[in-house]
Amino acid sequence: MVKAKTIAVTKLCFMTLTVLCGFLSAAAQDRIKIELNMGQERPRIAVPDFKAANADPQTAPLNTVFNQTLWNDLDNAGIFDLVAKSFYPSQQPGQPQELQAKAWGDPPPNAGVITFGNLGVNNGKVDVQGWLYDVKNPGAPQILGKQYKEDATPDMARVIAHRFADEIIARLGSGIAGIAESQIYFVSTRSGNKEIWSMDYDGANQKQVTKLGSIALSPRISPDGSRLAYSGLTRDSWQIMMYSMDLGRTVAFPRNAGDNFSPAWASDGTKIAFASSMHSGRSEIFVADANGGGARRLSTGKGDVSPVFNPKTNGQIAWVSGRTGLPQIYVMDADGSNVQRMTDQGYAVSPAWSPNGLLLAFAWVRNYGPGVLGGSDIYLMDIASRQIIQLTHDGGRNDFPSWSPDGRHIVFQSNRTGNEQIWSVLADGTHLQQLTRQGRNSQPNWSFK
Amino acid sequence: MGYVRANIFYEREQWKKPVLLSVGFHGVLVLAIIVWGFAMQSHSTANDWGIKQGDAVTAQLVSASIPIPKTEQSDNIVANENKGVTQTQPEAKPVEKPPDDAVPIQGKVKPQKIEKPVQQAHVTAPPRPVPTPETAVPYGEGGPVSGPYGSVTTANYKGGFSFQNADFGGKYGWYVDGVKRRVQQNWLTYEIDPRIKAPHRAFIEFDITRDGSPSNVRLAQSSGVPSLDQSAMRAIQRIDSFGKLPEGNSVTVDFWFDYPPK
Repeated sequence: MVKAKTIAVTKLCFMTLTVLCGFLSAAAQDRIKIELNMGQERPRIAVPDFKAANADPQTAPLNTVFNQTLWNDLDNAGIFDLVAKSFYPSQQPGQPQELQAKAWGDPPPNAGVITFGNLGVNNGKVDVQGWLYDVKNPGAPQILGKQYKEDATPDMARVIAHRFADEIIARLGSGIAGIAESQIYFVSTRSGNKEIWSMDYDGANQKQVTKLGSIALSPRISPDGSRLAYSGLTRDSWQIMMYSMDLGRTVAFPRNAGDNFSPAWASDGTKIAFASSMHSGRSEIFVADANGGGARRLSTGKGDVSPVFNPKTNGQIAWVSGRTGLPQIYVMDADGSNVQRMTDQGYAVSPAWSPNGLLLAFAWVRNYGPGVLGGSDIYLMDIASRQIIQLTHDGGRNDFPSWSPDGRHIVFQSNRTGNEQIWSVLADGTHLQQLTRQGRNSQPNWSFK
Repeated sequence: MGYVRANIFYEREQWKKPVLLSVGFHGVLVLAIIVWGFAMQSHSTANDWGIKQGDAVTAQLVSASIPIPKTEQSDNIVANENKGVTQTQPEAKPVEKPPDDAVPIQGKVKPQKIEKPVQQAHVTAPPRPVPTPETAVPYGEGGPVSGPYGSVTTANYKGGFSFQNADFGGKYGWYVDGVKRRVQQNWLTYEIDPRIKAPHRAFIEFDITRDGSPSNVRLAQSSGVPSLDQSAMRAIQRIDSFGKLPEGNSVTVDFWFDYPPK
């Protein structure tokens, strides 16, 4: 009896304390409680076509471009379930007043959020109003409301769609920015010889960047997007070259003895790593300042190429070394110490470090040798656990992976259609799509933002 | 006379013996009771009266509140007791009008008095009707108030989140949902000791600052499995940002991690 009483009293004290603590903390700031176990669903988003705001003849074609781009951007983002258009109610809103949230939130659309708006052309300018509404939360439905005004061209309609998509992803992507405004740089032969080209992340808007006239390879855009480093063939050797995106021309960059290949930026833009044979005549890893000065040798192996910084910390470098025969992936600290071999068989090249620093993508011929089945495929390795996942399967020779800034996509080169083209894929292996079709295109590099 | 006296004496002698006997017996009786009483005291207490041997009585303190069964909040509108946000008034019954051809019964129907117009010094405008907001929930049809987009329950995902103060989660369900997703993505369950079979739960508490970065990550209650605690802590620490807070300077999140998933 005494025991029961003690327990009851203790309980009461505890309850009082809990209530008191609750009041105190509630007064201090907001508080959320979240329970977590496996299983999660992606936001279900409805994307009805934006309405034409007026009858201007330019409105309809621009609206078509806009709607298509917005849909593709949200679909490509890889974080949404897009509600199929056949489920949409007949009444589609162009303004918040026209939105019947219940019709969209209930089955069959069963959407969680809806984006809608209108587009109109006035005096050569395109006006876009867009909203993002939480249809299951009638108390505070609006998540986002935006207005854009640009020149009335299809390119600008696409840019507006990219910007609006990135705004949506910024809200619903829980801290990871969208990639709709990012660029991909690659090597293309369509001008006659290998030059650096650029395109939007979805393959649109392909443009030539360099006009070197010989061979330009391994483009690497700087973290701020202002400069493009690449390796170019000069009269007597390979050199690291620098192209200014702001000035639109190649700018001075110090040349070194021997051959210099495969530049790579640190994610803070202060350093460039590259492979050079200036010291011993054999390729080794060097790190220089962003202006090319103060080059320091990091590795002493033979045939060390393709360095890449860990973009999260810039404290590690992954690279390819042939010191044991066939090329393998290695990782070392940024000062050259603590060398670790990451792959132990086959033919592993082209490491690419994920933006969060956890994963390494690389091209791997797992069982290399004459008469052995299997081509070069893209693999992902979790660096901490050394777990390996195969990303591409049975599709010719795949090489040169590069991560998107959000860490959800990988762009790579593949000859699965017969000749080399650029493809992109979600990091879980889904949503594979071909980005280039003209000429031969290779060595893609995704911009930092 | 002498005979009488002798007779009296004889009778007195006859009284003496029974009196002594009676006194003796009473004394023995009292003694016996006292002895019996002492003898019984050793294995019985005064408190045990009225109790059959072999039974026990336990007295429980009544706790501070009487346990009332909790009302289950259901998403089903029909089954929901929630009254919603706005109220709808019951419609006024239309006044029954007599048919046009009805003949009035004399004496029963009073002639309508013609009211004299009263002149008013101040004419006050009738109150303007307040338009019902489009997003208002009709009376009796409201869902759970703190159950916005994101609190959907699936087979694998049980529970959700509760909020204190300011209704952050109610207003920004999409943000809370994003936080949940992001942590889920960064929780690497292979870090947990694979031998765990029984369910364990780790409680983590952290703040999200204005720019969306998590800070002050702390283990609120250990699960008893160090590897689970650590994997949960790392899941939060791996994240740079949850995205800018839609409102306020800071929000505290209570997270709990169940492993293996129920």
